[in-house]
Amino acid sequence: MSESAVATKSTRSKINLVDHAVTLIIVCLVGLVMNTVGPKIPLADGFMGMVVIYLITLVGLALTRFAPFYLPSVAWISLVGIVATLPWTPGSEWVVAQAKSVNFLALATPALAYAGFAIAKKEIEVAKHSGWKLVLVACFVFLGTYAGSVLVAELILRLQGV
Amino acid sequence: MNALRGQLALWRLHLAVIVIGAIAEMIGIRKIPLGVGAILLLPLLYAFIMAAVMNPNLVPKFGKIIRQKEVQAASPLIVIAIMPFIAKFGTTIGPAINTIIAAGPALILQELGNLGTIVLAFPLAVWGLKMGREAIGATFSIAREPNLAIIADRYTLKSPEGTGVMGVYVIGTLFGTFIFAILASLFASANLFDPRALAMACGIGSGSMMAACTGALTEVIPSMKDEILALAGASNLLTYATGLYAGLFLALPIVEKLYDATAGKKDLAAASKKEG
Repeated sequence: MSESAVATKSTRSKINLVDHAVTLIIVCLVGLVMNTVGPKIPLADGFMGMVVIYLITLVGLALTRFAPFYLPSVAWISLVGIVATLPWTPGSEWVVAQAKSVNFLALATPALAYAGFAIAKKEIEVAKHSGWKLVLVACFVFLGTYAGSVLVAELILRLQGV
Repeated sequence: MNALRGQLALWRLHLAVIVIGAIAEMIGIRKIPLGVGAILLLPLLYAFIMAAVMNPNLVPKFGKIIRQKEVQAASPLIVIAIMPFIAKFGTTIGPAINTIIAAGPALILQELGNLGTIVLAFPLAVWGLKMGREAIGATFSIAREPNLAIIADRYTLKSPEGTGVMGVYVIGTLFGTFIFAILASLFASANLFDPRALAMACGIGSGSMMAACTGALTEVIPSMKDEILALAGASNLLTYATGLYAGLFLALPIVEKLYDATAGKKDLAAASKKEG
């Protein structure tokens, strides 16, 4: 699952937009199947929603490729999604209405299936080699990070009284 | 259209993902009651397990359906498959921009809460489990790619610190979604915290961790679905921006100092004894 995708390197990767556009169509079609089977959203609505999501992703990728400064692709894609749906963006209501026909969990399902298929021999070796101590430590790392964020956020929200 | 030909040659992989994903979606979200709360099982978890079971590296019997070729091709496809998911999250942030701005200070400062891993995991690793310098790499962060890069840059991934961060990274890759689904389920059903705080904390990890976390939250608190997605997405976007720097300038120096001040002294004593 290498998708956490923060700016790990400052050098721009020259992504191939055409390759990505084609691969994204396949991934979006797979997502559309999930969207229809799981949340039972009518296919026609889901299709329009997926077209909008596809276009947002493509614009984000184009910005990753051509923008004068580097941001990881997921950050660009997210920003395009935000700008397209801000209340003062013309036509944003339509975009929001279309995007509502796509269920976020249905889009995550294929990503996790690919992730299951992608488990490499090396990862299994690392997991075996790490042993139970590191598994326990990892659980505490996740718990500590999550709980820490919850507590700080809770504190500030209460202080703000919002 | 080389890309198209390339993807069509991978039809086994895409077909397997469609079949597995459709089965997972048909099973749907399930609740396991657990005392006061409940743990939520999500389709993405079943999809991951089913795919892992069909992975020839885990179950060699299946090597005929999914081969090493498909395994290698699947890795870059995770990144592509998560892009539409991120776009969808973006579209939940725009309409909720006023909520985001109102929660702005909490949203920015909760990034500091990520240091909670040091409070909880570092003592366990160093004093509880007597780990060596592996503890530095293992406990300074949630161990996603930027944190790997920090350790690789400073110590290399072959060092003890590198072993530590790689271990937590792989465990996060294999079990992160499960851990986050459980964490969010339990925190949400405890009824102690503002759902907005729980949502913001969902953004601290990778996209799939966020999916599992928000999936569980929205199931427990469906009335706040839009707000939960928007705040988690905004927090995740903020993590892209701050995560690298917080790890590099804050978390890692703190863990190094803590280690040197405590366990590191023993290391030095042991080293000088050997020399003497």
